[in-house]
Amino acid sequence: MLQIAIQGRGGQGAQTAGSLLAMAFFAEGREVQSFASYGGARRGTPVSSFIRVDDRPIRLRCDIEQADAILCFDASLLEGRLLAIARPDTLIVVNSSRTPEQYAEQLPGYRVLPIDGISISRRHGLGRIVNSTLLGAFARAIEAPKLEVLTQALGETAPKLREENIASCEEGYRRMEAQLQRVAA
Amino acid sequence: MNAHGAMLSQQKPVLLTGNHAVAWAARLARPKVVPLYPITPQTPILEKLTEFQADGAFNAEIITPESEHSVMAACIPASLAGVRVFTATASQGLLLMHELLHYASGARAPIVMANVNRTLASPWAFWPDETDSLSQRDTGWIQYYVESAQESLDTVIQAFRVAERELLPVMVNLDAFYVSHALEPVRVPPQELVDAFLPPYTPSHCLDTAKVESWGNVVTPDMYYRHRRALGEAMDQVYATALEADDEWGELTGRRYGLIERYRCEGARSVIVAMGSMCGTARDAVDAMRDAGLMIGLMKVRLFRPLPVQALRAGLAGVADVLVLDRDYSPGHGGVLHQELRAALYGMADAPRIHGYLAGVGGVNVSPEKIAEFARMANVSDSQPESAWVR
Repeated sequence: MLQIAIQGRGGQGAQTAGSLLAMAFFAEGREVQSFASYGGARRGTPVSSFIRVDDRPIRLRCDIEQADAILCFDASLLEGRLLAIARPDTLIVVNSSRTPEQYAEQLPGYRVLPIDGISISRRHGLGRIVNSTLLGAFARAIEAPKLEVLTQALGETAPKLREENIASCEEGYRRMEAQLQRVAA
Repeated sequence: MNAHGAMLSQQKPVLLTGNHAVAWAARLARPKVVPLYPITPQTPILEKLTEFQADGAFNAEIITPESEHSVMAACIPASLAGVRVFTATASQGLLLMHELLHYASGARAPIVMANVNRTLASPWAFWPDETDSLSQRDTGWIQYYVESAQESLDTVIQAFRVAERELLPVMVNLDAFYVSHALEPVRVPPQELVDAFLPPYTPSHCLDTAKVESWGNVVTPDMYYRHRRALGEAMDQVYATALEADDEWGELTGRRYGLIERYRCEGARSVIVAMGSMCGTARDAVDAMRDAGLMIGLMKVRLFRPLPVQALRAGLAGVADVLVLDRDYSPGHGGVLHQELRAALYGMADAPRIHGYLAGVGGVNVSPEKIAEFARMANVSDSQPESAWVR
């Protein structure tokens, strides 16, 4: 079972990102369960979204205490509470203009993969709306779901700026790929 | 499974949250009147139903009065006028209905209501906790507790059948967050299947100015006594009616749940008893413990009112230890399910030792590892009449 946590602030689209990711995995034939904290969530306060992906029906109805991968929408949230659910091998994709090397120094013992979501989204006319961009980067980092399945889910659900969201998602994917190749080299 | 059921099992699931699965069930049941008041975490049910209505797919009169008390006050006369009625609420909203919950069952109004189990104030919170509906256990409503979005959908549809057969209102309870807001694969049955299962509601008595029947007159002690007794007799019929509805639904869809479900209880020395979403987690815990050689099973209480006492006694006969997990708390008396189980099993020859754990109160996380830890605790401790705080 793959267990993913998405952390953002109310209004950033972390919950939507969770649903989109679940839809894409589901379209690939996987069993999924996605749930988010709600109610007390207001614009600007921390919001968590969780996704489980498996090859058999998912029965667990509890929090994810150890995530295999984390997508963090806001670098200021990458601290104690969120890191508590990360293991040394947990892949952490964070929306940040910092470099992987800076994160290696700042958070030793964690695998942090930054992606400058805001710059990419702005280039595609999305302003500060980063969820499509971050999802592209995240999908490349964890090598699932397939980019074309993800962009199809985006295209089916984006209320507006459909092409822009897809293009930004694809650039997020490519940027992460380049970063991973650079780090590996 | 018949040919229709076989065809359905091929049907492709779609992703729905528990709340949206409930809204789909309500749409498929074709109620005529749906009074609603929004409250977190039930609001997506209301939103989805109004969306269905705006699309022309839901032909019900949706009424949005000024409070949940008024919602129930609208449900009762609509139901007594002889039409199918659906509503949904949560937490404080359910409590605001309290007075009229008694009135609805007394009036024998077969209303179906979904309740999203959420913590009660104060302090203010939005987490899963079943104290809201469990504190309404004496109101004369049939109560189901479900585990998944699919079971929410299936149970709301079954609930209309049971309600209208026995002329009793039904509450279908789903946990906040883990069920109400969990997006997961759900098979939505076709309209014609639900129409075949749920024929139009045509009660033999209803408020009708032409027939000149009424409800609400003052009665004598004798009339009141006989009326309550008749209500009790209807409650006694619910076991058979609910089982039949579940069986028929199983024939049509391939999905049946039972009133209580025994999961891997064969030869079990210990049995976990729980309700709602925790049962899903307990299944994984039981599998892991069985793999480790422990003789343990799960008994899921799906129907809580009326409580299937005989089925519980039969199902737990010969078991050494029963662990009751409560996601609720009755101050001064502990876990509600724990105390209900103690009463239900009292006087059995070789009654199991019952251990009550206040495990998920306030939405506190209950993982499979925690459940395994509770099982180890029960193994080495005496049974206590009081529920224990654990986490």
